[in-house]
Amino acid sequence: MADKEATVYIVDLGRSMGQRYHDRSVTDLEWAMQYVWDRITGTVATGRKTAGVGVIGLRTDDTSNELEDDADFAHISVLSEIKQFLMPDIRALSETIQPSNTNKGDAISAIVLAIQMIITHCKKLKYKRRIVLVTNGKGPLNTDSLSEITKKIKEDNIELTIIGPDFDDPEYGVKEEDKDPRKAENEVILRSLVEDCDGAYGTLEQAVAELQIPRIKNVRVTATFKGFLQLGNPEEYDTAVRIPVERYFRTHAAKPPSASQFVLRSDLAASQEQPESSATMAGTQGTQPTDGSSLTNVRNLRAYQVTDEEAPGGKRDVELGDLAKGYEYGRTAVHISETDENITILETYAALELLGFIQSDRYERYMHMSTTNIIIAQRANDKAALALSSFIHALFELECYAVARLVVKENKPPIVVLLAPSIEPDYECLLEAQLPFAEDVRTYRFPPLDKVLTVSGKVVTQHRNLPSEDLMDAMEKYVLSMELTDTDENGDPVDTLPIEDSFSPVLHRTDSAIRFRAIHSDKPIPPPSETLTKFSNPPQDLVEKSQKQLEKLIAISGVKKVPPKAKGRKRTRETEKPLSGLDVDALLHQEKRTKISPNNAIPEFKQTLAQAENIETITEVVKQMSAIIEDQIRHSLGDANYDRVKEGLGTMRDELISYEEPALYNDFLRQLKDKILNEQLGGDRRELWWLIRRSKLGLIDQQQSDQSDVTEEEAKAFMSAK
Amino acid sequence: MADSNPPRDDEVGEEEEEEIDETNYKTVKDAVLFAIEVSDSMLKPRPSSDPKKPVEESPATAALKCAYHLMQQRIISNPQDMMGVLLYGTQASKFYDEDEGSRGDLSYPNCYLFTDLDIPSAQEVKDLRALVEDEGKAREILVPAEKPVSMANVLFCANQIFTSKAPNFLSRRLFIVTDNDNPHSEDKALRSAATVRAKDLYDLGVTIELFPISQPDREFDSSKFYDDIIYKTSPNDPEAPAYLQLDSKASTATGDGISLLNTLLSSVNSRSVPRRTHFSNMPLEFGPNLKISVSGYILFRKQAPARNCYVWLGGEKPEIVKGTTTQIADDTARTVEKWEIRKAYKFGGDQVLFTPEEQKELKNFGDPVIRIIGFKPASALPFWANMKHPYFIYPSEEDYVGSTRVFSALHQTLLRQKKLALVWFIPRRAANPVLGAMIAGEEKVDENGVQKYPPGMWILPLPYADDVRQNPETTLNVAPEPLIDQMRVIIQQLQLPKACYEPSKYPNPSLQWHYRILQALALDEDLPEKPEDKTVPKYRQIDKRAGDYVLSWADELEKQYAKVAVEKPAHSTVVKRGARDKGPDNDEESSKPAKRVKVEADNNLEDEVRRHYQKGNLSRLTVNILKDFLTSHGRSGVGKKADLIDRVVQFLES
Repeated sequence: MADKEATVYIVDLGRSMGQRYHDRSVTDLEWAMQYVWDRITGTVATGRKTAGVGVIGLRTDDTSNELEDDADFAHISVLSEIKQFLMPDIRALSETIQPSNTNKGDAISAIVLAIQMIITHCKKLKYKRRIVLVTNGKGPLNTDSLSEITKKIKEDNIELTIIGPDFDDPEYGVKEEDKDPRKAENEVILRSLVEDCDGAYGTLEQAVAELQIPRIKNVRVTATFKGFLQLGNPEEYDTAVRIPVERYFRTHAAKPPSASQFVLRSDLAASQEQPESSATMAGTQGTQPTDGSSLTNVRNLRAYQVTDEEAPGGKRDVELGDLAKGYEYGRTAVHISETDENITILETYAALELLGFIQSDRYERYMHMSTTNIIIAQRANDKAALALSSFIHALFELECYAVARLVVKENKPPIVVLLAPSIEPDYECLLEAQLPFAEDVRTYRFPPLDKVLTVSGKVVTQHRNLPSEDLMDAMEKYVLSMELTDTDENGDPVDTLPIEDSFSPVLHRTDSAIRFRAIHSDKPIPPPSETLTKFSNPPQDLVEKSQKQLEKLIAISGVKKVPPKAKGRKRTRETEKPLSGLDVDALLHQEKRTKISPNNAIPEFKQTLAQAENIETITEVVKQMSAIIEDQIRHSLGDANYDRVKEGLGTMRDELISYEEPALYNDFLRQLKDKILNEQLGGDRRELWWLIRRSKLGLIDQQQSDQSDVTEEEAKAFMSAK
Repeated sequence: MADSNPPRDDEVGEEEEEEIDETNYKTVKDAVLFAIEVSDSMLKPRPSSDPKKPVEESPATAALKCAYHLMQQRIISNPQDMMGVLLYGTQASKFYDEDEGSRGDLSYPNCYLFTDLDIPSAQEVKDLRALVEDEGKAREILVPAEKPVSMANVLFCANQIFTSKAPNFLSRRLFIVTDNDNPHSEDKALRSAATVRAKDLYDLGVTIELFPISQPDREFDSSKFYDDIIYKTSPNDPEAPAYLQLDSKASTATGDGISLLNTLLSSVNSRSVPRRTHFSNMPLEFGPNLKISVSGYILFRKQAPARNCYVWLGGEKPEIVKGTTTQIADDTARTVEKWEIRKAYKFGGDQVLFTPEEQKELKNFGDPVIRIIGFKPASALPFWANMKHPYFIYPSEEDYVGSTRVFSALHQTLLRQKKLALVWFIPRRAANPVLGAMIAGEEKVDENGVQKYPPGMWILPLPYADDVRQNPETTLNVAPEPLIDQMRVIIQQLQLPKACYEPSKYPNPSLQWHYRILQALALDEDLPEKPEDKTVPKYRQIDKRAGDYVLSWADELEKQYAKVAVEKPAHSTVVKRGARDKGPDNDEESSKPAKRVKVEADNNLEDEVRRHYQKGNLSRLTVNILKDFLTSHGRSGVGKKADLIDRVVQFLES
């Protein structure tokens, strides 16, 4: 576990903090609170009980602290004792953080008070102790006992941070012109205090700017495997080697915070039955902060059914209690009794066993299947370290990788991993990634990219799908102009966009949105910070540098966007032919298929359409197809024919879009809907209608076909209406 | 869709990415119907030229073996997909309710639907295996008809099977295995009828895949008949790039029985799954005004056993239970609709709320895109910078004409310049943005010239800074040269064939075992004794090839370690016991190998445990010692002391 923490924030609430300076849009206090809230919510987000936060208000109208009888401690109020901060504390605090009507109150005394709070809270226990003072430095400072305070802070190992708006900071490049002489004097005092205590002193501008840089959670390292790297079988051969090793994550996906599902409490929800109201709910939520009390959890309720041809609907409910565990083998259910539970588990023993070695240049990097791990020698075992080091170096010198079988725990499934040497001046280890098994590889084949093969097997090197020399040249120049690796003054390569600067956008966006909403329940969430979107576009300087090359590339490439509606238009497209190029249509013509046969409906529908010379033929063939589909519905036992109906409708829809006759489909679908809902097609077929809706087989709208007179809204309304 | 598995609540959308291509009304399933010709030449056994494997194999049995193999494989890899086996040219006929005994004319004479098109059942697996293995039964069915079968009829038979059994499937494929390259050479009318029926299949959306087998004396010539039957483009996706190289030598399996079987197997394997896009027509953006379209595929994906499900035992046979989930409000148990549900995050002991719109906005980092951010040397991609399987991308002309040539230019440039592109990649709407390294992959072919890995670009998802873990602290102990030299020899001795990793040689042992057991249970057979596990190292070979070198390395290690140990006396307690110095204090059983190369710090452990075991007082040992002993042998060290002792005894007795 991480160390316990106690942090006291001293926030200057003096009257002068409530003002705007140097044309800023926020007051000093608002500005300061950006920093303070970020720090506090960062602590709250950890959810740790042992991370305590206390808050002291400085230059408050009232006085409220344990030394309040002492005049030195006037206008200082303890707003919160050190404790785990929760939402109610945040709400309470945000109400009290208001500029006061006074400028009185001593910051040094507030620090003394903070020290006192920490001593009381932490006693002599192990804690990370911190005091953070945010002030504009315009208040009075009582410097009488500074040296004692310094001594106490160092003695108790308290980390003191003092930050303020317009504090001069030559390193960061902030210097306030026409600074109030009192403030200048105070800045000197505060800076030397911090320096004497080995604390941190800075200007608020920098502190707020740095909030943009997401903080990475440090995760405690734990070994995912402790065992042996083995060569050979030690149980059988005396030439086997076992090196004790440990395995740790090298990469592991950091998950964004996860949300849970809630609904409005049923008594509140009753008033908004209509689905449409989800929009209004969203609208009102912005103005009236909803808290957890108006919500209730969502639970999943499972129901179980088995097929039973005699039962109505073909299915019968069964109770969970009557069920046993098993597996599917094809469409056969295999029952496995509880005593045999582990019967399908392969018996294995934990080990990392070497299978052999490969040349690193014969490995395709795209075979990495997983996150990566590192393997190091058992810690505090010099002999193991020595042995593993010889292995790492030998791999490195031979430019080899090792292939190994890894079982992390007894009876866990074995995986095959690739081991690569990693040698840095101060660290040596093996890097490990999982390799695919035979079953993990899918063979999809694709034609070559640098030549075109014709059906007859001829190789063509000049083709519209192949780049010309000019295009190759333009591409190369473009690629070179977009180089991300720079060189530093020593000529060493520097990565301008390194992994260290890439932060998980979703994780940090969610995280900061939660923290923002926690303090500002009534404000819209701000957009993601620039740091998060830094990698979403090429760096500006590169864009400028490569502009010429890109323009050239665009000109030469001649890439043209296909207008959406031109896609799949059929009337002009030549019909598909077999490899030989034989004109099958001519043969079909001879056959004279005049009536679509129901058992070969789809091919014949397509073929008749392809040969149609006038609209009458199209209308006629659609009529026939419609009759076939209706028949299929009428004679369907339960849902037996529904898939065929969907296929027929889908084919009809696609074809009539292609032939630019959407009205024929739309008319049929309207009739079909009536017939289904009026139970004219063999009883209750509402399930089918639901399936049609889900399969997006609705009316063809203007978006999909220019010839359609149905608007998108109409199409939507048609499908949603019951 | 209802599923049959117990609920799993914690799954996030991210991993369930198989759900693809939202646009289509079709069911994303695949149906494969094997059509195997039965004729005298197909049934004629071909001798083996390999004297070590004097097994005869006929083209027909080879084809059936392939079908059986594919059936088993698909139960594992595509549990929702269908398969069937149709024999044609047989004396016998069988089609649903019809056989020779039926009254009236047969619809499809000389077509024998051996396995109906469906998700295979255990019984069907068993029947097919019987046909492959059991000569007696095979002899009854595998009898060629006297007169030639009409191909038009065969194709229409297949048409009817697909139409009724696999309606609305996205992918339907007819695998024809035959050695007859010119079925209707004499009869022009029959030939025309067949081409028309082939067009019907094409229009129905069925792809015909031909597995031609050459006669011993002449090559299979597809131009005689089959080029009129097979189409250039996929019927479902006419725009998809077609792979035209019809496995030149490989598929027209000439030669002897064994190689025929093997080439046929590899040919079937390479087409075992239909090509499915993971995303199609995604813009690949070079700059603000230059986009091309690409489609994405997943070529490597971890295959795991299907999760267990509930079965109902109330009937004659166990039945699979379908489960459906309804969401209800906790307070009144009323059913809630999807639109009502709101997401909230736990924060400071309370809930922080967002509207669904806000929730969406939080995940919105723009439309799906692959955007090039810049280029780096390919060597700038560290070995460890990886998060999951890669995405393969290939150009499509669907949205942007000219995509292919631009993609090709980039592909060739990246290869030539040895560079990679850094890309910002959003695979789907509202999917988490991925930072990826896009690298060019060259086409790889196997020894038969059949493509193994396609040419194209691969996007490797990179870790974000948040995903990178720190290395644990450890002390650095660099091995001295002599020790490295010794190890080098060992590594050189143990190179894998061709010094590269070949996935096809390593089937997943636990996956295979899982289904092997299920199969045995489903068919009510004896459970297999020992699993076949190709991932177990070849111990004998390792000993033979590298044994001596290992021993001298171990000697060197002792020497070097002695030096280090002197420098660091704190570790002098380590007992030195190398391969060569079997000390008199070694009291291991004589049957056990005495010499053992050890690098463990604690060598006493082994002896101590064995000693106590022999004396029968293991219980005197502490839990820690028992644990250490078990884990050092790869056994689980979890449990109570009694359990640990049991396991130690079990181990030492075996």
